[in-house]
Amino acid sequence: MDPIDTNGRLSPPLKRQRTVSPSPPLYRETQAFDTSTARVAVSSLRSPQTQSLTNGVGPRKQSSRTNYRLKLTLTGHKRGVSSVKFSPDGKWIASASADKTLRVWDARNGDLEQIFEAHTAGISDVAWSPDSKTLATASDDKTIRLWELKSGRMIRILKGHHNYVYCLNFNPQGNMIVSGSYDEAVRIWDIRSGNCQKTLPAHQDPVSGVDFIRDGTMIASCSHDKLIRIWDTNTGQCLKTLVEEELPPVSCVRFSPNGKYILASTLDSSIRLWDYLRDGGKVLKTYLGHVNTKYSIFSAFSNDGKYIFSGSEDAAIYVWDVQTKEVLQVLRSHEDVVLGVSAHPTENLLVSCGLDGTVKIWADEREGSSSTTIP
Amino acid sequence: MNLSLADPFSLSQDYPEVFSHSLHYGHSSCVVFNRRGDLLASGRHDGTVVLFDVETGGLARIMRGHTRSVQSVSWSRDGRYLLSASLDCKCILWDLEDGSRKRVVRFEAAVYYAELHPFNYELFAAAIHEDFPYLIDISNPRTVRNKLSSLPRKSPTGSDEDETPAITKAAAQEAKALTLSTLFDSTGQFLICATTRGWVNIVHVATQSTIFSTRITKSAIVTARLSLSGRSLIFNSRDRILRSVHMPPLTDEDIEDPSDILFEVEHTYQDLVNRLYWNHCDISPTGEYICASTYMNHDVYIWETNKGSLVKILEGPKEELGFVDWHPTRPMIVASGLETGRIYIWATNNPQRWSALAPDFQELEENVEYVEKEDEFDYKDRAEMTKARLDREDEEVDLVGMDDVPGDLRDDEKRWTMPVLLDIEESSEDDDVKIVGPTAATSQKKKKKGESAGGADEKKGKKRKAGD
Repeated sequence: MDPIDTNGRLSPPLKRQRTVSPSPPLYRETQAFDTSTARVAVSSLRSPQTQSLTNGVGPRKQSSRTNYRLKLTLTGHKRGVSSVKFSPDGKWIASASADKTLRVWDARNGDLEQIFEAHTAGISDVAWSPDSKTLATASDDKTIRLWELKSGRMIRILKGHHNYVYCLNFNPQGNMIVSGSYDEAVRIWDIRSGNCQKTLPAHQDPVSGVDFIRDGTMIASCSHDKLIRIWDTNTGQCLKTLVEEELPPVSCVRFSPNGKYILASTLDSSIRLWDYLRDGGKVLKTYLGHVNTKYSIFSAFSNDGKYIFSGSEDAAIYVWDVQTKEVLQVLRSHEDVVLGVSAHPTENLLVSCGLDGTVKIWADEREGSSSTTIP
Repeated sequence: MNLSLADPFSLSQDYPEVFSHSLHYGHSSCVVFNRRGDLLASGRHDGTVVLFDVETGGLARIMRGHTRSVQSVSWSRDGRYLLSASLDCKCILWDLEDGSRKRVVRFEAAVYYAELHPFNYELFAAAIHEDFPYLIDISNPRTVRNKLSSLPRKSPTGSDEDETPAITKAAAQEAKALTLSTLFDSTGQFLICATTRGWVNIVHVATQSTIFSTRITKSAIVTARLSLSGRSLIFNSRDRILRSVHMPPLTDEDIEDPSDILFEVEHTYQDLVNRLYWNHCDISPTGEYICASTYMNHDVYIWETNKGSLVKILEGPKEELGFVDWHPTRPMIVASGLETGRIYIWATNNPQRWSALAPDFQELEENVEYVEKEDEFDYKDRAEMTKARLDREDEEVDLVGMDDVPGDLRDDEKRWTMPVLLDIEESSEDDDVKIVGPTAATSQKKKKKGESAGGADEKKGKKRKAGD
């Protein structure tokens, strides 16, 4: 591996030490391989490690327990997978990896659809355009690239960041991208022209997460400088900064589906739900139980807004009840740190990725859940 | 949704104050925002219709179809369809889903103005050169053209003593009256037609009959605009006076006795010193302000309509301005330059609030003596405090519900979003899209300094440069 081939998200951000083993044992050349054997179908097996935690508390009111089971394991990435996202139309899964490739899989059966290669260093994040036709990737080669799903072509290259690009997101209108980088700036890009529109001098440490609110008028950014900032998209001005005494470095930030709250993961193994509108911002919920002290691990809301998912450094995925903060389920199957999770936009499906180089699809088999599409 | 966090001071700004930036892609002859305010349509002198993304300043669409200058563009309510009227005697209805021409309607003469019905995109009214206005129905494959009259409605015999002699005297001339503007009222039931003889005719759309006429001036009315709220009208006439009219409530019941409609000039606006002609005018969405571009002058005037006083003269470009349009939600005005065809944009200047960057600091007016709080340095067990805090987190949160979220789009306006095209033909033009102005400059400066202090001077310098 050449020296530039680091990966922002896969290296613990504070120490920047490389932790990805060069070739995970599961590695197979997916392109040449028959896809039906390349992925490990375990839908028939009940994964013995999957366990539900009861926490010694009896079932609380209305917390219907999730019952996620491993459906598919998608292998092919040659190094750790840093980010995984369902497309907004729910048909595809995109996974970005330190092996410099972006892969798109069929969400239904896990078939490999496309491999996008052009980045010259590892990829830290991937985002879907709202119409599910375009993908954007943030890479350690300091560029953002836009890809067309249908043709598999690279259609834009956005240059401007002075250091590794760490995170990015589309706005809901699909005409802009916001990106955060190790150069401590947040940039807003016009995707039609590929020009950088604004550079926000956002933070004093690498920017670890950026997200647009549902109508695109505001941007939330977070950084290892322990701040969460909210920006006006139009004017580029900071509207609010969320701080708390002794808040550890922030590693992931996202707006709730209705835009009223902000979910922020911090490197003290906790995830906090903020009411950012309240004077100075107020933490409404703290979700604990998982391990997160080194990596920028993604968290996600379920599509109905009842659960919160996050990866963990103990190789598991945690599911919390939003209201009671109770850990409802711990999903184990990954062999190393779980970095990315994403919830399906309509069905009770979950996808995860991690340092072990695999992407795993999970389905909720609880009674009354609608995830019966996977054979 | 940013309203809840925005600086109340900047929200209280109702009208633009500073030149922001300019857009340039060909020679623009008319500019109109869509209802949501995220796109700006620009009709060009060469007949091309161009859509700009207001947020990014970038090109969103290029649509070719006309062969001569575009005179007006009109958006459908949901923003999906765009009607362009041109001197090449055509009106084209564009479907912005894919940029295709949904319908082309040909006329015998140049089209001055065409406006889509507010709710039915298959119905529009057009003002034609040397001809009567038309109401065009394109819901069927065969275009239905209904000719409307430009003549004022004949008063019922003896109903109004004062007006009757005026009508008879001018009757011969009236026959030559031309309609230059055809506006739909906010319900879409009535058309407001302004003529070169200073008459305003209200036409019932369903019956195509003129139900009411009034003469507000003796000279030609060249522009008529209706506010987004549908309650204020503004007329620009050749006698150098702008007239604002409070839109009378028009419902079907009123037709019983149309002569009762109260249609009176509320305020007149003119520059008594310079005796300026007004090129074009527009009303702010709420009807609180009007703006107008000036003939042989480079400024845009803004008046407030409550008292009719002048509040601002916007400067910036070094050329005469034609079309002006007020943004539907923001304090923002666009105007097209007559000479270069550049599109100029004025907006507000929002300074960064320091307290937003560092919430644990407060902005103080003067020195305040510090008073220690009772328990400020008390010893507290951290673990216990954390536990207590976690226990307090029992509030119900709703992550999905959209009730009481301020500033969210209304349902009828968010139905359709234009697909983002990434392969608009850009290279075929000689002059690329250029955004000139302090917007780009400030972001660069911010990058360097990281602060916005002292930005005023630098911004001014950039502004001048942009104007050159």
